[in-house]
Amino acid sequence: MAYAIVAEGIYKTFRSGWMGKRKKEALKNIELQIEEGEIFGILGPNGAGKTTLLSILSTLLLPDRGKVNILGIDVLQNGHRVREKVNISSGNANFLWSLTVKENLHFYGMLYGLMGKRREEKVEGLIELFDLNEHRDVPFDRLSTGMKQRLSLAKSLLNDPEILFLDEPTVGLDPDVSVRIREKILSIHHRRKMTILLTTHNMREAESLCQRLAFLKRGEILTTGAPSDLKRMVRIGDLLKIKFKGKISEDELLHAEGVINFTISEEFCEIMVDDIERRLGTLMTLLSQGGASIEKISFGQMDLEDVFIEFAKETDSDMGLCV
Amino acid sequence: MSLSSLQKRLIQIWAFVFKNWIMTKRNVFSLFEILFWPVVGFFSVGLLTDFLKLNPDMSGFILVGIIAMSVIQVCQIDVAYVLLYDLWSKSIKHTFIAPVYLFDLVSGAWLIGIIRSFVVFLLLSFFSHLAFGFDFLRPGIGPLLLFLLGLFLTSVIVGMSVCILLLLFGYKADVAAWSLTSLMSLICGIYYPISILPFPLREIARVIPLTYFLEYFRSFYGFGPEMNPVLVFGFGLIAVYLIPEALLLKMVLHRARRIGTLIKLSE
Repeated sequence: MAYAIVAEGIYKTFRSGWMGKRKKEALKNIELQIEEGEIFGILGPNGAGKTTLLSILSTLLLPDRGKVNILGIDVLQNGHRVREKVNISSGNANFLWSLTVKENLHFYGMLYGLMGKRREEKVEGLIELFDLNEHRDVPFDRLSTGMKQRLSLAKSLLNDPEILFLDEPTVGLDPDVSVRIREKILSIHHRRKMTILLTTHNMREAESLCQRLAFLKRGEILTTGAPSDLKRMVRIGDLLKIKFKGKISEDELLHAEGVINFTISEEFCEIMVDDIERRLGTLMTLLSQGGASIEKISFGQMDLEDVFIEFAKETDSDMGLCV
Repeated sequence: MSLSSLQKRLIQIWAFVFKNWIMTKRNVFSLFEILFWPVVGFFSVGLLTDFLKLNPDMSGFILVGIIAMSVIQVCQIDVAYVLLYDLWSKSIKHTFIAPVYLFDLVSGAWLIGIIRSFVVFLLLSFFSHLAFGFDFLRPGIGPLLLFLLGLFLTSVIVGMSVCILLLLFGYKADVAAWSLTSLMSLICGIYYPISILPFPLREIARVIPLTYFLEYFRSFYGFGPEMNPVLVFGFGLIAVYLIPEALLLKMVLHRARRIGTLIKLSE
C-alpha cells in the first residue's frame, strides 16, 4: 500500500514570553501513516494540536524534530515541491477582502502558475462546482460565512492537489450548510480520488467523512483506526433506550445488577448496562414491578464522542490503550 | 530553466501585480497615497519656498527632495503591501502554502510600486513645472532615468525591510511601512544638504543610497556632490544591501515557518 503521508516522531514546542521561556508542547512523538486516496480525520478537542499537526504536514510550520514525507518527498528538504502537490482549506476562511470571488480564485490560480485559458476554465469550473455563480463578483468581505467556506474549498482545488488538507471545514457554519459542505467534500473525493486529511472536533463529522481517524489529545495520538474498529475497542457497555408511562424508581436502578449509568426524564429513560443480552429480562421485570408501563425499547449505539471520552479517560488514568 | 517554468514564474510574479492593483483600485486609502498625500505635501513645501523667496535653484533643491521622497514612499509601500494586505486579511498562510518564491512576491509588488510611483512622479513633475517653473528634464532623459532607477531600487530595499520586520514582529511592525521613509527624509537630506547634519547622522546618511542619488540629480542644478563618483557609491550601496537583505528575508520566512508566525498571523 502506497502512503501519501508519513510522519515519524514529530515534536513541536511553541515558546512565548521573555526570551521564549514559556514553553508549550504542542505535539509529542506523532507517528502517522496515511494511505493514498483515503480520507483521514484528526479528531480532538480544542487545543489538542490538530491545526499544528496539519500545518506541519502542509509545510506551513516546521517541526522541532521528526520526519515528514508527503508523496515520497521529504517536506523538510523540499517544501517547495510539496507545495505544488497539496492545498489547504480552513474553517473561518480568510481571503483578501476587496477581491471578489472570481478575482480571489484568479489570484490564487496565478500563484499555482495557471495561465490564460486554462486558469479561466479552472476558475469557471470551480465557481460552477461550488454554486458560487451568483456571488462571483461579490467582494470577499460581503460574503456570508457559508459562501466564504465554499470559496475556500474552491480555492483549495485550484491546483488539483494530490493531498487536500481541511482544517475544521465546517466550524461556525449552520447545520444545514455544514451538511452540504460535507456532501461536497465526499463528492470531490469520490470524483478526484485525492487523499484528504481533515481536522475536526466534531465527532459526527469525522464519522460521516473519514475512513480512518486519529484521536489527538494534548499533542499526543491516543489511537488510530477506522471509526467502527475504534468503537469496538472501547466496550464501555450497551445503551438501552426506553419510552415509558408511569414511574421508574431511581433507587431500584441504582441497585440493579449490571447498570453502569442511567438518566431518567418524563417519559424516557436511558440505561447503560454492562451486557444487554444478560440484563434485559431482569431490568424489564424490575421496571414493570416498580410501576412503569414500557411503551418502546430501542438499543442505542455508542458514538465516537463516547469512544473519545473513554480513550481520553484511559490516558488520564494511565491505564494504557488497547490499540 | 525551461520555457514552461519561466512562464510559470512570470505568472506568479504577475499575481502580485494583480493583487496590489485590485487592492489599490478598491481602497480609498490607497488612492489617497498616490493622489492626495504627495500632492498636498508637494504644494505645502513648494509654497513655502515661494514665501521664503528662494532662488529657483534653491527651490529646485527642495522640490527634487520632496518628489524623490514621494516616489520612494509610494513604491516601497507597495512592496510592503504585498505582506500587509495578507496580514490585514489574515490570509498569509494561503500565500505561503502556494509554491511561490520570495523573489516573485517582491518583484511583483515592486513592479506595481514602480508603476504607481511613476504616476506620482509624472504628476508632481507636471505640477512643479506648472506652479513653480521647475524643469525636471533639464539634466536630460538619461540622468533622469538613472535617478529614478536609484529611487526605485532604494524603495525595494526599504519595502523589503518592512517585510522582514512584519515577518519578525507581525502586526506590531506595520507602522514601519510609514515611518522608515520619514526617518530617511530626516537623514538623507531631503530638504537640506547632509553637511548640516550633526556628526553621527551625517555618517549614517553616507551609508544610505538615497543620499547619493539626491546628490547626483541635484548636481545638474548647481549643487556639486560632496562625494564622487556619486552613482558608484549609490548603486554600490544598493548592491551591498540588496543581496544580504534578500537572504535575510528568506531567513526570516524560514523562522516564521519554524516558530509558527504564519499560522498566528492567519488566525
